[in-house]
Amino acid sequence: MFTYVGCSFLDVHSVFILITFGSEIKMSKDIEAIRQAVIEGDAESVASLTKKALDAGIDPLDILEKGISEGAQTVGKQFENMEIFLTELMLSGEAMMAGLEVVLPQLKSEDVPHKGKVVVGTVRGDVHEIGKNIFKSLLVANGFEVSDLGVDVPTSKFVEEAEKINADIIAVSALMTSTLGGQKDVIDFLEQTGDREKYIVMVGGGPSNQEWADEIGADGFAETAPDGVRVATQLIEKRRA
Amino acid sequence: MIPIIEIAKRALDGKPMLEKEYDLRVFSPRVQELVKEYGISYDPDILVPSDDGLADSIFKAAIDLICDVGVYCKDTERVIAFEEKEVMNELKTSFDHAVFGEGMEQRTLLPRTPESKQKPWIFAGAGGVTVSDESIFMRLVENYARRIPIANAITTPCLLSVDGATIRARSPLEIEGSIRTVVLGREALRRAGRPGLPIMNAIGTSESAIALASGLHPDFGLRKTDGYMVAELAELKTDLDLLNRVALLQSLNVPIAGIYGPIYGGFAGGAEGTAVTSAAFHIQGILTYGASWTLCFPIHVKYTSSSSPELIWVASAYAQAVTRNTSVPALYYNYTAAGPCTEMVLHEFAAEFIAGVSSGASIETGGVAKGKYFDYLTPIEPMFAAEVAYASAGLKRSDANEIAKKIVSKFKDKIPDPPKGKRFQDCCDPLTGEPSKECFDIYHKVKKEVTDLGIDFLY
Ligand code: B12
Repeated sequence: MFTYVGCSFLDVHSVFILITFGSEIKMSKDIEAIRQAVIEGDAESVASLTKKALDAGIDPLDILEKGISEGAQTVGKQFENMEIFLTELMLSGEAMMAGLEVVLPQLKSEDVPHKGKVVVGTVRGDVHEIGKNIFKSLLVANGFEVSDLGVDVPTSKFVEEAEKINADIIAVSALMTSTLGGQKDVIDFLEQTGDREKYIVMVGGGPSNQEWADEIGADGFAETAPDGVRVATQLIEKRRA
Repeated sequence: MIPIIEIAKRALDGKPMLEKEYDLRVFSPRVQELVKEYGISYDPDILVPSDDGLADSIFKAAIDLICDVGVYCKDTERVIAFEEKEVMNELKTSFDHAVFGEGMEQRTLLPRTPESKQKPWIFAGAGGVTVSDESIFMRLVENYARRIPIANAITTPCLLSVDGATIRARSPLEIEGSIRTVVLGREALRRAGRPGLPIMNAIGTSESAIALASGLHPDFGLRKTDGYMVAELAELKTDLDLLNRVALLQSLNVPIAGIYGPIYGGFAGGAEGTAVTSAAFHIQGILTYGASWTLCFPIHVKYTSSSSPELIWVASAYAQAVTRNTSVPALYYNYTAAGPCTEMVLHEFAAEFIAGVSSGASIETGGVAKGKYFDYLTPIEPMFAAEVAYASAGLKRSDANEIAKKIVSKFKDKIPDPPKGKRFQDCCDPLTGEPSKECFDIYHKVKKEVTDLGIDFLY
């Protein structure tokens, strides 16, 4: 716990400092272990370390921000620099979720940093998934809550899921010119049902570009997944402002 | 050959597994373990390794991989399993040639080996990249056939639209687009004076099994001596729609290719894992599709192209592994970062094909500008690529390594932000497809550079 404080030559004030200092070392050690376990993609350890840290009285907000989130962000950066690959990125995403399950119930809802909820998927007729998976994992690493519908997703499913989780963003991936129209379908569908204003719609993947996004009236486009995360963050901030 | 019915049974009755489980906890860790077990390592200073032991280790790791993790069927969420003895027997009895083309253009695709003097099979053209209009389609195919006399087969573009309507997958527009691709391709080859030339990416525009089936009707002109590609899904997966195509194509008795794009930085990990996965995919094609040829197109997860040094090493190492150890001809297809009418795109083709051909592969000329943008095609790129590939037969791997390294150093730093180049409309005559003087000047300049580095062009 904390270092020896019984020396007679220490005044009360110094003792207090020592105690605080000692527990800070302890706290940062526990949090560092959580951060490390997220980086290593070890879901079991993240869950048990998070429990242990909570039991030791460490502030859940510190666990969340300095442990889990920082770990996930480190992993996101490592992936951008190609120091790690998709498997590690996705395992870290899982580890992060395991930690969140333990820590979130301990937080007051106003304390939980709410980055935003995103529905992602690849459009109907298209089975390309790697880009979509990367975008999803980076969103998770950056603190978004993501519901992944997979590939070959019918238009109405995007909207249904967005409704269900009360999403901020619907992010639609398409990799072929012959399936790009599926992105427009999602927007048309939302317009038809009068729900267009409820959601931010983002498009991306292979042949989509800014011009296309403008043409179909999408709110955001990004060429790469890391840029996609930045655009998503900006669009949500803009909407909240 | 394992009958498709047997593969279907395994896909329907195999061990159930969630896809995520297969990706993250079965396939991915096993690849990394095998890379370690077999001591496979990538040396960033080498593009074309000359080490037969490395090639054979990659191959053995690939066999172990496929026996240990099987092939995943996405629709049934089950694993198609293979026994090692069965795999070895299949490899001993697999195809060792395929006949393509008709009449004067009939040729036999044969396996090659590293450093072999035997000329690579030249499968040249658009690499399935999309064009916006039927006349561009025609002009390109005519020009491929005319300007690439060494082409053994043609790869056509895909169509973006029919009668102004953008093609949508699984709609009647896709069916019509697929039929037109066949009819137009055949007619363009006739006009070019090479009616017997095979189309080896039949049917480019078809994305679904039903569109493939529709375009196959003999009225539209496809032949049994054309080539039929069936995708294998990343990594080591398939689905029922793909197996359905195999069921149809096997009954028609046509040459089937297993085609696959392993992803560097994806579930296979880095260069070593991507090489092992590529070799395993070649074996998957033979086992699950009864493939008589395969086509590999590894790509970089970040750049979505294949010309970065790590991936050239992957292309070389995988090609050596499978051509030294199996009889089924292996073709390599690349994605350039740069677009048409740039020096960089020609440098990328040169480096990749010098590496691939000296390592035992034959080639399909790849997707220019990542195959991502429609109309970013001219006849120049496949023409140059075919000439370089043809001239690389017989190169020693060590020499190929030196030459490829010099070429890669010219473009390596530009991969993250490559020049997009020009569209067909911007640099080719719309009536004849003749590329502009600028395109030809670039072609001659790069050809001279590559000649000076030691590549002896046929013409
Ligand atoms: C790998 C691959 C495959 C694999 C897919 C494996 C898998 N499980 O995903 C397989 C072999 C199965 C395959 C199949 C087919 N493919 Co394919 N494939 C590719 C390839 C080589 C790479 C795609 C990829 O994964 N890229 C890597 C990722 C990381 O890049 P990305 O997806 O662009 O994603 C990045 C960004 O775009 C962004 N992003 C992605 N989505 C989103 C979404 C949002 C909202 C945001 C903000 C960002 C974002 O984030 C990512 C990371 O930065 C491309 C060519 C290429 N160079 O891209 C062709 C390509 C896409 N395929 C093509 C074709 C034609 C096909 C087939 C029809 C072939 C056939 N005839 O069978 C089938 C289609 C089947 C179907 N119905 O979908 C064509 C499409 C042409 C066209 N019409 O436009 C391409 C362009 C190749 C070509 N020119 O020939 N393919």
